[in-house]
Amino acid sequence: MVSEAVLTVDLAIILLAATLVGFIAKQTGQPTVIAYIITGVILGPAALGIVEVTEMTELLSELGLAFLLFLLGIKMRLDEIRHVLVPIVKISIPQMAAVAIVSMGVSMALGFSLLEAFIIGLALMYSSTAVVIKMLTDKDDATSLHGKIDVGVLLVQDVVVVILLAVLAAGRPDDVAEIATTLAVVLTLVAIITVAAIGASRYLLPVVFRRIADNKEVFFLIAISWAFIFVFVSDNINLFLAPLGIEAYMSIEMGAFLAGLAIAQLPYSKELKDRVNPLTDLFVMVFFVTVALDLEPSQLLAYSQEAVIAALVLMPAKFVIFFLLIDWQQFSLETTFLGSINMMQISEFGIIVTAVAVEGGFVGAEVLGFVTLLALFTMSASVYFIEYNRQLFARLRPALSRWDTDDEFEGGGREYRDHAVVIGYDEVTRRALPILAAHYDDVIVVDRTVEHIEALDDEGYDTLYGDFRNSTIRKDAALKKADFVLSSSVEPAVSKALLREAGEDATVFVEAEQIDDAHDLYDHGAHCVIMSDHLAAERLAESLETYLEDEETLMEAIEDDLELLHRSVTFPNAIDHTGGEVDD
Amino acid sequence: MTDLLTAVSIIFIIAGPFLLVANRFKLPTVPLLILAGIIAGLFIDEGATLELAQYGIALLVFSFGLSIQFSAVRTVFADSEVAAVGQVFVIGTLGVGSGLVLGVPLAESIYLGIAAALSSTIVGTALLDTEIRRNLVHGRLAKSIHFIQDLLAIVFLLVLGAGTLAADPIAAQLGYGLALLAAAVLVNRYLFDMIGRFAGGSDELMIISVISLLVVFVGAAESAGISIVVGAFAAGLAVRHEPTEYLGLFNGLESIKDFFVAIFFLTVGALVAFPTLEKLLIVAVLVVLTGVVKPAVATAILMYKGYEARSATLTSLSTDQVSEFALIIAIEALLLGLLSQLVFDAIIFAAAVTMITSSVSQRYDERIHRGLASRGLLRGTYGKIDEWSAVPETISDHVIIAGYGRQGRFLAETCERLGQPYVVIENDPVRRRTVESECAAFVFGDAMESYTWEKANAEEAKLIVSTVDSEPVSRRLLSLEFSADVILRESDRTTALDLFEAGALYVSVSELLAGQRLSQQLQDVLDGKLTPAELRDEQLTDLRPRTDAVSHRQR
Repeated sequence: MVSEAVLTVDLAIILLAATLVGFIAKQTGQPTVIAYIITGVILGPAALGIVEVTEMTELLSELGLAFLLFLLGIKMRLDEIRHVLVPIVKISIPQMAAVAIVSMGVSMALGFSLLEAFIIGLALMYSSTAVVIKMLTDKDDATSLHGKIDVGVLLVQDVVVVILLAVLAAGRPDDVAEIATTLAVVLTLVAIITVAAIGASRYLLPVVFRRIADNKEVFFLIAISWAFIFVFVSDNINLFLAPLGIEAYMSIEMGAFLAGLAIAQLPYSKELKDRVNPLTDLFVMVFFVTVALDLEPSQLLAYSQEAVIAALVLMPAKFVIFFLLIDWQQFSLETTFLGSINMMQISEFGIIVTAVAVEGGFVGAEVLGFVTLLALFTMSASVYFIEYNRQLFARLRPALSRWDTDDEFEGGGREYRDHAVVIGYDEVTRRALPILAAHYDDVIVVDRTVEHIEALDDEGYDTLYGDFRNSTIRKDAALKKADFVLSSSVEPAVSKALLREAGEDATVFVEAEQIDDAHDLYDHGAHCVIMSDHLAAERLAESLETYLEDEETLMEAIEDDLELLHRSVTFPNAIDHTGGEVDD
Repeated sequence: MTDLLTAVSIIFIIAGPFLLVANRFKLPTVPLLILAGIIAGLFIDEGATLELAQYGIALLVFSFGLSIQFSAVRTVFADSEVAAVGQVFVIGTLGVGSGLVLGVPLAESIYLGIAAALSSTIVGTALLDTEIRRNLVHGRLAKSIHFIQDLLAIVFLLVLGAGTLAADPIAAQLGYGLALLAAAVLVNRYLFDMIGRFAGGSDELMIISVISLLVVFVGAAESAGISIVVGAFAAGLAVRHEPTEYLGLFNGLESIKDFFVAIFFLTVGALVAFPTLEKLLIVAVLVVLTGVVKPAVATAILMYKGYEARSATLTSLSTDQVSEFALIIAIEALLLGLLSQLVFDAIIFAAAVTMITSSVSQRYDERIHRGLASRGLLRGTYGKIDEWSAVPETISDHVIIAGYGRQGRFLAETCERLGQPYVVIENDPVRRRTVESECAAFVFGDAMESYTWEKANAEEAKLIVSTVDSEPVSRRLLSLEFSADVILRESDRTTALDLFEAGALYVSVSELLAGQRLSQQLQDVLDGKLTPAELRDEQLTDLRPRTDAVSHRQR
């Protein structure tokens, strides 16, 4: 028998408070991440102390981080990042070493002991995955060149954290050999799982997802299930390896990222991105709120002055280190600047590393308070630097001109402009395609059926797989810049949203089923509302009239239509794809 | 990593293969998720994901509230379709009765009654998607019936929350429930657009505030001591909005819903214990009640109300499963201690079984209907056809128009104008009055029945035009082999060609015509013969004199 489960009040409070602070932040132009962190501080023991971390909130915040990385993985097409792989490794390793040394120096100057300073150094060398990736995603920068560099560096850091955590969790290591073994085991595991993910994306997933892509719900849930396989394996890797006498840990974030990476290589990844995004937003919110929930004020404030000083020194130091290293790899000034300014904060992993070190008896709880406070400060501050990174760059560009190098790396895909967008491939729009193609350089077709997309690809049209209701899809189709838009959706809401978003000068053709809707759409600015059913009704009535008056003429017309019908069967069946067929 | 995360990982990993099976055999996902949950129950602590499942319930009901269109509610209640609710009471009573016979106490037998009576919208109407889109009578009817049943489920939940059958607590529950709904209407009218403005186009903030709103309503329901489901329903009503401005929000909510609802169904499965003989007996009775007795009763009621046999059968076959709302009611009752594990398990098993059998029965619905009809089990309707039809004895050389929707009406008008005698065949009771008042001659019956055609004197007709976009009807018509010419309607191109070959004089494919017209207009605009603005004016002038035909109400 199960006991009654009521919904936790804590989560409700978190949601409400975050919404409220989120709205205030939005009104004052602050990023939501800040709102969430502040919410946590207000609700936590440092201020009101009305919310505690429960199993539920902990789960959601873990899912938040995992989904964030999964989402990130989904966005990473290997072809697009391969060329920055080598520079990323060359940047990240010296970067961590340099930051660790500087941090050690700073903390010793602030009066920490050698061991404490060493742990602090190890804790501060990472940048915050959650902050950077969330901000990059919000700003739609994750796949820009500097975005890729940052993401790559963060992932290398993630591997290092995982290794470090494994070493720290084992308590004070006996010798260097033990550290080396742990290192080797973790690297091997990461390599094995990466190979598994890439192998799956090449052989297994295309077959599976090709079959399920047309079923929106199954598609989404299978993708989630796939992510959880990796989360589960990474989390329980220790159990799997225990019989072999090997002790090893992997972060669930790493697993989630690799799961996403495997899916990213499929043509259906865009659609999935839009489906996973809202869930991630919700969970990540909980993550940021809970960051500050665990802290007792006494621990938090033990080294508050030191934390302020450290923040003021370390943020510029981190920027300079990143700047010099990225510049050394021959990226353009803009990429170097943006890539560096994004990475100035202390990571949530720093808190975790210190927490484990406290548990392992390396340092006292006050050090944890120091690192946490430092992380909060730097995360909050850096959000503003990321938010306004381009403006800052514009200001500082003249002063930085001596670092200007020619970019060796090409970034970004092609931009559509003055093109034609066709939404939904069916009997009606199909005939318009060649006409549009003759007139426009780019005709891009958005559809949610795999078969259609494949047929269109074969015909040489640009295609986008996904639901037009998703904003990324609309953005990718560059709806705002289109000169001509043709939609076969009969949902008035979709058509209206389209009319609202399309440019002033664009010519827009939409479809409707009801006359009222048609009037409505004309009022909203449609140039032509196609009404197949009405048209057919008129035609049928005409045919009837012809039949009754002059059968010969009708027979000729029928011949024409029949020929039309025959001609059109060269393309795959476009209408009845939603299933639910009648008896056969 | 928490144990909870492990539990969630496990249920989703196990769900994977089951979902693939669902996709492969075109089965609904719900029963397979329940089955996956039963397996997962072996590995995880049964109550581990219960709280997450509660969010699933809340979101499921929330999105039901979200999807309600008041105009639709009005038309549904204006129809005779409400009569189909009679089925709920008949089956409900039978369910309670058989529970008592099997020795289940009355308080728990009520839940058996509910489980047997309510049908699943997710399973029932998803399979009828095509029929609903093509505006066929049984598609629309099934949708309305499911809709009414879902509303009933909300009322049940409200009443059962009282935990007793005494009048006073129930009245209090209803009072709180109504207060919540009133609050929802107020939020919808005044607060929601304000939230939208404050969010300033940020989907993220919109989603989080809507989820907060949901939590507030759920919390209000909980503190008032009524079912959280009612709170979630009210929240759905509060957020109900035309999606145009908030596409991102509604898409996002769907993802969140899909995630948590999957957890709900998986958890329901995980809560099930393995079957005993007694349990299986109850399951068997429930399955027979829902899978056989319920559609039979529904068919009888619909035929009594004047629907012809085929529409009645096909509609009823879409109700032969246990509802997801029955699952919610069961799990709430289990948590409140009102339901024993035995009866709970039986309901869940029966739900999983009937949801699967239902998708099979739906796949073969036409065949089942024909089987029943040919064995004479659906007799007794000719009287009504005679009573409701008006065809002059002497009519010949006439045109028969099957279906009086937009197209049928156009055709009838054309005949009137040309002085050509015609007979309209229609089977939708909703259109009966329109047909009676507008048409000179009509038969009120099913186009699949040869008696209907006999009545319309098809032997001596000149031309038969079917505006019914349904392959079985078209094929049936051709198979009757009248000497008249036959014009058909079809939306699938390949089928249209087949129908030509099978002897149709002409097959009208709406989309093909529209495509042809579109390419002409497109060419004109792109060649500069016509500016977009001119085209717009031209189209509007063309549109103005027209109004929507009778089919308008089916939106």
